[in-house]
Amino acid sequence: MTEELVLDTAIRDWVLVPLSVVMVLIGVLRYFVAKLMRSPAASPSPDPKLVKEGQVVVRARHLRTGAQFIPAKAFKSRKVYYTNEENGLLHVPKEEAQKAQAAMFSDPNMAMDMMKKNLSMIVPQTLTFAWVNFFFSGFVAAKIPFPLTLRFRGMLQNGIDLGTVDVSYVSSRSWYFLNLFGLRGLFSLILGEENATDDAQKMMQMGGGFGANPTMSLSAEKDSLDIIQHDWVLPKMEHHAEEVLRKLLKK
Amino acid sequence: MAAVATATAAAADDEARLLRLEEQAEHGGGGAWEYLCLVRKLRARRPDPVLRIGLELLNNSSARSRLASEQWTLYEQVAVAAMDCQRLDVAKDCIGVLSKKFPGSARVGRLEALLFEAKGEWADAERAYALILENNPFDQIVHKRKIAIAKAQGDMSLAVEYLNKYLELFMADHDAWRELAEIYVSLQMYKQAAFCYEELILAQPTIPLYHLAYAEVLYTMGGLENLQTARKYYASTIQLTGGKNTRALFGVCLCSAAISQLTKGRNKEEESSELQSLAAEALLKDYKQRAPSKEALITNMLKNMKLS
Repeated sequence: MTEELVLDTAIRDWVLVPLSVVMVLIGVLRYFVAKLMRSPAASPSPDPKLVKEGQVVVRARHLRTGAQFIPAKAFKSRKVYYTNEENGLLHVPKEEAQKAQAAMFSDPNMAMDMMKKNLSMIVPQTLTFAWVNFFFSGFVAAKIPFPLTLRFRGMLQNGIDLGTVDVSYVSSRSWYFLNLFGLRGLFSLILGEENATDDAQKMMQMGGGFGANPTMSLSAEKDSLDIIQHDWVLPKMEHHAEEVLRKLLKK
Repeated sequence: MAAVATATAAAADDEARLLRLEEQAEHGGGGAWEYLCLVRKLRARRPDPVLRIGLELLNNSSARSRLASEQWTLYEQVAVAAMDCQRLDVAKDCIGVLSKKFPGSARVGRLEALLFEAKGEWADAERAYALILENNPFDQIVHKRKIAIAKAQGDMSLAVEYLNKYLELFMADHDAWRELAEIYVSLQMYKQAAFCYEELILAQPTIPLYHLAYAEVLYTMGGLENLQTARKYYASTIQLTGGKNTRALFGVCLCSAAISQLTKGRNKEEESSELQSLAAEALLKDYKQRAPSKEALITNMLKNMKLS
């Protein structure tokens, strides 16, 4: 167990360093390819319905948070305007809600965009992985200078199925993975802060795009408007104003 | 409340910095570009100094080339400032440079249309805006410009129509609501104006000016219920401004006087609060401090209203 493995210096020159260099170069290349493939229309004309729905939600939220500042009559008429079942601004017919969801998933533009993004991410990764696997699999490429617990075996010795090798030795395939995930900091140095190689963030955006469904927020807003109680604060304001004036006069 | 206070403090801070930089740039002390950036950031409207300082920077070719791609922003800024100052020749030159650099750009198109507007060629301006809207029907700035054209021609009903159409889509834009409210007031359509002010109060409940304007509209409409509501909003203005707003103090007095006039003879359902007498006192004190010569006037007026 404690026996030292001697690593050939040729491994350093022909595996360790080239692998890192190749990974960096591929990252840079991917950045530029993604830049080229990005849809030329930076700000496509938004759907009028979407714009309007967003604005309605904002206005309804204002009504909800500021309700106590307007007279009861004004509040009631607005509430009806937003939430009535026939043509209220926030009312979404059932069929339409389903249709909207279906339309979102079948929107060809969105799918296309995502495919492009995915393509620029997956294709080079598969290729480099295949390349690494073919040429450099199954041997130890480096040794990290500190001991680690056995748990790290899966991470550092991918491709070596020996239980007796010390965990601080890194297999070549694991070196590839370490590079893949660890080079983000370097890329943001080379390519500027908001570089396209930030895979994790891209994934989050993708999820967010699907999560925010405007029709959903409409009906959620409607529900919270329905249960709100109108409590006009202005009568209290008169007393507050008296206090303010008294304080002012005392000075 | 604390958030509002810090926001106003920050705004005052920025304002002071702006003025300091302006002073410095005007006297050739450098910082011209910083000043222009700050003006842009704060959206301050200071066309005179911007035109002078910006033009100086543009005419200095070495300074201009140091700005690299930022110089186009400068051209735009100077063009708008020049139109504000009616220096249409300067504006035309700037826009010419920009349209040569960015042919077919909507942003330059907007500037060109703005130039038509500055010259008073309304039909041309409208045609240019219509062209931009064809490509991008949701250009808020262009919609607003169209409303401005209608207003500049004095066609208030058309402006109202455009504004209503705009607000149907962009209903969370409180600046537009404010514009509409002011137009309605000028057209004496108080009921509609009251609706707009309600909308503004909803959007930004801590701004005392909206409460004040709403109260004034209600007071103008008259009627017992409206007067009582108006008094409440005057009171909230007093609370929000800490009693520093003279208009609100007067408003409370006037409302109370009007209410007591209307309910005279009938038994008073609403017990009269101390508010009006306090407001009258505050008014008196204020006048004593700041305009002693007018004190007699105010005492007389308050006596007429039976408030002191």
